[in-house]
Amino acid sequence: MRSLFNKLLAIVGSFALLALPPMPAQAQNATAVISPEQLAKIHAGNDKCLACHSQAGVEHPPLAGMDLKKLRTLIRDADAFYASDHQRLSCTKCHNEGYDDFPHAADAKDNTTTCSDCHSKSAAIVDKQFANSVHAKNLSDKFTCTTCHNPHLMRLAAKLGDPQKIVAQDNRVCLGCHDSDEQFAKFAPEKKSRPLIDDIHSWLPNTRLHWKHVRCVECHTPAVAAGEPISHEIFNKEKAEKNCVTCHSANSALKTRLYRHLVKEEEHRLGFANSIILASSYMPGVTRHPLLDALILIAFGATFFGLLAHGLGRIIAHYIRRRKNHG
Amino acid sequence: MADREYLLSPWIRIWHWTNAVLIITLGVTGMSVHFADPNLPLVEFSLAVRIHNIAGVCLIVAYSFFVIGNIVTGNWWQFVPKPPGIMQRMIEQTRWYAYGMFVGEPHPHTPSKEQNFNVLQAVTYWNIMYLLMPVILVSGLVYLYPEFAPDTLFGFDGLLPVAMLHYLSATAILLFLLSHIYLGTTGKTIGQLFKMMITGWHEH
Ligand code: HEC
Ligand code: HEC
Ligand code: HEC
Ligand code: HEC
Ligand code: HEC
Ligand code: HEC
Ligand code: HEC
Ligand code: HEM
Repeated sequence: MRSLFNKLLAIVGSFALLALPPMPAQAQNATAVISPEQLAKIHAGNDKCLACHSQAGVEHPPLAGMDLKKLRTLIRDADAFYASDHQRLSCTKCHNEGYDDFPHAADAKDNTTTCSDCHSKSAAIVDKQFANSVHAKNLSDKFTCTTCHNPHLMRLAAKLGDPQKIVAQDNRVCLGCHDSDEQFAKFAPEKKSRPLIDDIHSWLPNTRLHWKHVRCVECHTPAVAAGEPISHEIFNKEKAEKNCVTCHSANSALKTRLYRHLVKEEEHRLGFANSIILASSYMPGVTRHPLLDALILIAFGATFFGLLAHGLGRIIAHYIRRRKNHG
Repeated sequence: MADREYLLSPWIRIWHWTNAVLIITLGVTGMSVHFADPNLPLVEFSLAVRIHNIAGVCLIVAYSFFVIGNIVTGNWWQFVPKPPGIMQRMIEQTRWYAYGMFVGEPHPHTPSKEQNFNVLQAVTYWNIMYLLMPVILVSGLVYLYPEFAPDTLFGFDGLLPVAMLHYLSATAILLFLLSHIYLGTTGKTIGQLFKMMITGWHEH
């Protein structure tokens, strides 16, 4: 009875998938256009993997005798995956051979497609930048693309849109090591202990607030031209940005970094300069109101000259009075 | 006795000059932060922030001292304009600033132990000290600990109203400061009132 119900549900489910509208607008500019039918097929294929590799799979294992303890560490979140850059790929595009059946083939892991297999062009650029980076110099054998990029989760900044989400995603990567002794030790050269992230940046006021509203890579990577992807060259302490006004001034560098994909929408809402930044962060020196500032400067000027005129009047009156008294 | 009267106890004078130095410091560093510009820094940004934060906390301490001192010594009574004829004296005082002093009329008000301030001073000082100061202190404190500000407000960061309140009250206080310093020169001589604020003695 139960299994019949499940089958019915599966059929209804696949119709529902077929009936899905075309791709959401944010994913439209794909390299290859995928029809809804193809997409449904991909999802159905992925559902096979997710039947085990999910919370539900661990709670109600479709197969007896599996290593559930291990499976618990291999859960993939379907919702997160379908919101990621790779949302339209089959699991098996990357997890090539040996995963279709269970138990999986012993050497299945060796066949995982690498990033550069599919992204040869950007990988070549990234590789060169990464080679100059602090991580490549000392840790190159352990440090690969997947050390930072979780291909099941990450989303391009421009597609995420909301700066808060971008900061959370990208800083989770860096803080995952630099704010965790356990993770740091896995990669650090022997005997190197982790310097506390807030101590290193003690010259920056309210560091935790900055980590929530601005990315590490804002200060730790070189500037790039408008259309180019962010650089993968991570700067060490000599080259990292320490000058506050790079961000904290009317012409903030954040306009070409964290907010680059939004600057076109800048509307000077309610007359504020950089109102696009103001939507998520009030930044001293950046999110000013030019008209209000001008009025205030005028008020100061008027007061100053008003008082000056009053003072001059007193001096003149004083001399006139003196002359009168003497004359 | 007739030509000299001791009006201001040491605690008031110490508080007054501490307050003055702190507010000028806060004004200069606050403006450096607000008008931050790589090409014309008044005070370099990170230095300005550090000084501003320290001076801000000091101002809170100084203000608490002022409030407590006023309660303990009963000096708060000075800030209350006393009837009758408040309106009348206010007009008189204004008229003197605008006209009387030019033609050599005598001061309409002479500072005394019972009534140190003229009405206009009492009203202005009361507003500045008990309305504006709390606003700038509290908004500064929230600015220092932004986790206490609302997250968002009308599609903007929730710190916006706090920062605006801080900026506008700073403007009002600095405008007051300008006038305050200038009016300090309107004693019998240019320096009379400044001298009184240093020595405590009013020379009649
Ligand atoms: C019937 C349940 C089941 C299905 C279906 C299943 N897996 Fe697994 N998978 C497991 C279990 C259990 C493990 C961990 C223990 C093991 O490897 O034997 C695992 C391990 C893995 C690993 C880690 C291998 C390693 O060596 O660390 C990957 C990657 C993986 N599966 C991918 C997939 C993909 C891709 C699919 C779909 C094509 C899939 N699995 C379908 C149960 C399943
Ligand atoms: C774009 C390529 C890509 C796609 C698509 C992809 N994966 Fe992966 N997956 C990887 C890579 C690369 C790793 C290895 C990560 C690492 O080394 O830490 C991995 C790791 C895993 C692991 C854990 C292996 C381990 O040892 O920790 C599991 C389980 C897994 N993937 C399941 C899935 C499932 C299920 C899907 C589909 C919903 C999927 N993957 C889609 C590239 C991909
Ligand atoms: C099987 C091929 C394949 C593999 C392997 C693969 N990707 Fe992708 N990746 C794609 C496709 C296809 C897209 C474009 C998806 C779209 O535009 O909807 C993409 C998009 C991206 C994007 C979004 C930016 C862009 O250029 O569109 C990033 C970042 C990315 N992949 C990183 C990685 C990383 C890091 C790895 C290695 C862990 C990896 N990919 C492995 C196929 C792959
Ligand atoms: C030190 C961590 C780290 C390593 C290692 C790393 N990346 Fe990245 N990568 C990032 C971060 C952070 C972003 C920014 C993501 C965003 O906000 O778009 C990024 C972005 C990207 C993008 C998208 C850039 C864009 O704006 O269009 C691509 C493509 C990419 N990485 C590929 C790679 C490849 C390929 C490798 C391995 C050669 C690699 N990355 C290694 C951290 C890393
Ligand atoms: C997988 C762990 C890991 C991740 C992720 C990671 N780092 Fe690191 N990082 C390290 C380790 C370990 C070192 C120490 C290297 C050494 O001392 O040789 C290091 C060193 C550094 C240094 C230089 C420190 C020095 O001593 O010269 C900087 C700067 C840095 N990381 C920034 C970042 C940024 C920015 C990100 C995110 C884009 C990031 N890291 C992501 C592990 C990581
Ligand atoms: C406001 C700019 C800025 C931001 C944001 C920032 N850093 Fe830094 N970081 C620097 C500067 C500048 C230094 C060098 C400090 C010094 O001179 O001692 C530094 C130093 C470091 C170091 C030590 C480098 C060394 O050689 O000892 C590490 C590791 C590091 N940062 C990681 C991070 C991580 C991780 C993040 C994100 C959570 C981050 N930084 C965010 C500017 C920044
Ligand atoms: C990479 C860009 C960047 C740099 C460099 C930077 N900041 Fe910030 N800062 C920000 C952002 C973004 C915020 C807004 C945080 C928020 O949303 O509340 C901020 C907020 C602040 C605030 C307001 C915090 C509060 O109390 O509300 C102060 C003060 C500040 N920064 C000081 C500095 C100083 C001093 C430096 C240099 C040592 C500096 N910042 C460098 C991006 C930056
Ligand atoms: C009369 C006294 C003060 C004046 C004139 C003043 C002025 C200013 C100005 C003009 C700004 C820039 C505002 C902006 O651009 O948003 C500022 C920022 C700031 N003020 Fe004040 N302020 C005063 C007192 C205080 C006090 C008492 C505190 C709290 C302790 C404080 C804390 C802050 C903080 C935290 C900032 C943000 C920048 C920074 O961290 O330095 N201020 N102030």
